[in-house]
Amino acid sequence: MFSRRDFIKQGLIPVFAGSAVPSVFANGLAAAAADAPNAAPSDRVLVLVQLAGGNDGLNTVIPFGDGAYHDARPTLRQDQGVLALNGQLGLHPNLKGMKASWDAGQLAIVQGVGYPSPNLSHFASMSIWETANVKSGIGDGWLGRYLNYLDKVGESPNHALEGVSAGSLVPPELRSSTPVTALQSLKTFRLQPVNEHGTQVDVENPLMKFYGAFKGATPAPFGALLDATLNEALQASHALQATDATYQAKATYPANSPIASSLKLVAETIVSGLGVRVAHVTLGGFDNHAREKPVHDRLLLDLDEALSAFMQDLQGHGLGDRVLVMTWSEFGRRVKENGSAGTDHGTAAPMFLLGAPVKGGLYGEQPSLSALDNGNLKFTTDFRSVYASVLQGYLKAPASELLGGSYEVLPLLKA
Amino acid sequence: MDHAPIATPPAARSRPIWQRPVSRRTVLATGAAGATAAALAALWKGNDLSQVLDRVRDYTHGYQGALRTPRVRAAHLLRRAGFGATSAELDRYAAMASATMAESVLNYQQTSNAALEAQLPALDLTSEKGPAAGAVQAWWLQRMVQTTRPLEEKMTLFWHGLLTSGLDKAGPAQLYAQNQLFRKMALANFDELLKAVSKDPAMMVYLDTETNRKGKPNENYARELMELFTTGIGHYTEDDVRESARAFTGWTLTGGKQLRFTTDSAFNRRFFDNGPKTFMGKTGNFTGDDIVEMLVPLRATAERLSTRLFAFFAYPNPEPEIVRHLADTFQQSRYNVGAVVREIFAMDAFYAPKAYRALIKSPAELAAQTLRATGSDARAYGTAVSASAAMGQALFYPPNVAGWPAGSSWINSSTLLTRLNFVNAATQRMRPSSSTATLEQLTNTLVDGSMSPTTKDGLQAFAAAHPQNQAGLLFMVLATPEFQLN
Repeated sequence: MFSRRDFIKQGLIPVFAGSAVPSVFANGLAAAAADAPNAAPSDRVLVLVQLAGGNDGLNTVIPFGDGAYHDARPTLRQDQGVLALNGQLGLHPNLKGMKASWDAGQLAIVQGVGYPSPNLSHFASMSIWETANVKSGIGDGWLGRYLNYLDKVGESPNHALEGVSAGSLVPPELRSSTPVTALQSLKTFRLQPVNEHGTQVDVENPLMKFYGAFKGATPAPFGALLDATLNEALQASHALQATDATYQAKATYPANSPIASSLKLVAETIVSGLGVRVAHVTLGGFDNHAREKPVHDRLLLDLDEALSAFMQDLQGHGLGDRVLVMTWSEFGRRVKENGSAGTDHGTAAPMFLLGAPVKGGLYGEQPSLSALDNGNLKFTTDFRSVYASVLQGYLKAPASELLGGSYEVLPLLKA
Repeated sequence: MDHAPIATPPAARSRPIWQRPVSRRTVLATGAAGATAAALAALWKGNDLSQVLDRVRDYTHGYQGALRTPRVRAAHLLRRAGFGATSAELDRYAAMASATMAESVLNYQQTSNAALEAQLPALDLTSEKGPAAGAVQAWWLQRMVQTTRPLEEKMTLFWHGLLTSGLDKAGPAQLYAQNQLFRKMALANFDELLKAVSKDPAMMVYLDTETNRKGKPNENYARELMELFTTGIGHYTEDDVRESARAFTGWTLTGGKQLRFTTDSAFNRRFFDNGPKTFMGKTGNFTGDDIVEMLVPLRATAERLSTRLFAFFAYPNPEPEIVRHLADTFQQSRYNVGAVVREIFAMDAFYAPKAYRALIKSPAELAAQTLRATGSDARAYGTAVSASAAMGQALFYPPNVAGWPAGSSWINSSTLLTRLNFVNAATQRMRPSSSTATLEQLTNTLVDGSMSPTTKDGLQAFAAAHPQNQAGLLFMVLATPEFQLN
């Protein structure tokens, strides 16, 4: 079994005659169509939805039955239209799609998720979540380590599309020595031709030689990065060009919504059978220190509509059983609202796990709104426990090895 | 390798690291030793002999010695302190001594930018809503391409990445005003710049100081001022965040326009928290300016800003000795940013092999340098702004308050393809007459005439095979790995 790096080193990639595509790409659609409800672990896809800026957990899964919530949030409280999950807790009124998933047993909510000695810096806390390293936030991304593991055990599909993120940057949780792909659109993900009198000039082969030679010539670390990236990019773009015509969305995604476009792009890569294992999308704008309500209401509506379309699209393609969506945010927000009708940085917050692989329900424990730490919630479930549950229960990977420690595995997922 | 330590004379060893020149012999000896090992390793992989010989040639060419040539030193300085140089500019700078070259870049106030100002399209600064976002973005990119004061524009880009604000919250006229503030105070004293930024409408909207009122403190600005703009994490407590937020109360936006469109701010005593605050162990009725005056003299601030400036201009992760020296300069000059930048350009470390091509061109740098090479019309700037966004840097839309992560994060499969497609499109747009340069002239201006032998051969082969395709040839030069670096 070749590892991906061997594949590159041995120069197997640079041959891109016409539309010939390595056979590893060819079986996607057929395999997808034949998929039984119990997809093999190697066919499973994890989609991370990052709610960047610190999502207000208390106004997402709302403890409407707790008087302390109403006291702490004189202007921000949601007191109308909360979608009750039980007598105490309910979803934000704009999370109608999530509520439908809940009713169908396809939404798991883990309450009070955080970590010891919470850091109230966006960036420090993001790094902690991304690396699962609560001491320093330094190191490979936790899913980058998972992709390395796949490479090591020979389960890697040998190209950079097993880890994709929608956008122009690769998020830190996917980073490791295993290359992943940032995608902005499948159509533009290719090297545009250089033409001369209507004939295409070969620039790919010379450029690959240039980059390969430069890697050897420069002591700077970027030579190797540029060379590997060009190879990955050309290889992945050839794979995409051979498949992108086949995708037709089976749901109507909201217009003018970057998160919907991102999720549609992820659906396209999954449906096209390109071997994606882990995907990442970001919805930003949650750092609502002032005038939070209209902004947060709109963000949750945007999220809900986009995710509903995404799930419907995948189900329409018969892929619902293979895809798990998980949301995360670097922290929740202060229990008591501030004087600007907003909330300052906080700590624990709920996480959503969405999709057919999920065993729906509430997990963990809702933190107390009165026994606070400096105005902030005390976490009740360690986020690494959620990661462990997904790695072990869904991706069938050795969680304690990948997380550098043992954490309780919650029964969030079907076998 | 054995003789390398002896090659450094004892006198040089006692000199600080940033003044220690590296001899060409040492560089070549190190390179050759590495090359031999690498070539042997390649042989084991079973490649054929001609490939191995090509590798050896690529490994051993005089790449690291490039900065010994005056013209390459000039090109290096003008890439770092600005947005690249034309052939004529390189000739002019190469004739100067290094110190004169740096002074010429630093003393830009003496150079008139009237020609640029006359060319720039007028921005609508009088109507209720002000200019469109795209107009302000294109305006700035045109400045980068056409300025005669490259360092002024480069420092403006530096401040935009550090004291950042974004159009996701603030309005275009506010970002325009903030951009002009950065330009005006590009090399100013840091405390004065921070005081101005604290009252800058774009910042007040971006980090919510405009809502920060007595009795209703908002922590957003106070926290980022310490975490990102001055000391960095680990030098303050959560109590310091809460208390200094109170000190920044009182500043409001004025002018009766919608928040995003107003470009005036004023201090309103009624909204100021007039009580005592305890900040970093001191208690007093502090204002925001007082907080800035307590943060800027701290050693952590001096070291953090020095590291950031050196990494922006020279190479990442500077040696502690370099940081210490720059931090001293900062503190002894009453926090003068210009003094630190002057010191960086005077360091041998700035021209050391380690600094050469040690940075990846940011998308804005790649866009501006490309347009300087291809020529540009009025439409080109808007196109370049969109391309820069797709390459990962939308001007005035930083990903978050920490600005762009830069470095290796600029390069992934998507952004690299976008870079290549952008330079392709830019060369295709050229008028056929606009570039008649020979291959040698192109590579001398754009990549210091310093490429791997394989690339040099490949470009010659391309030129020979496509003698009429000037755009294609320029594309090949701009698409080299050498051009992706700064």
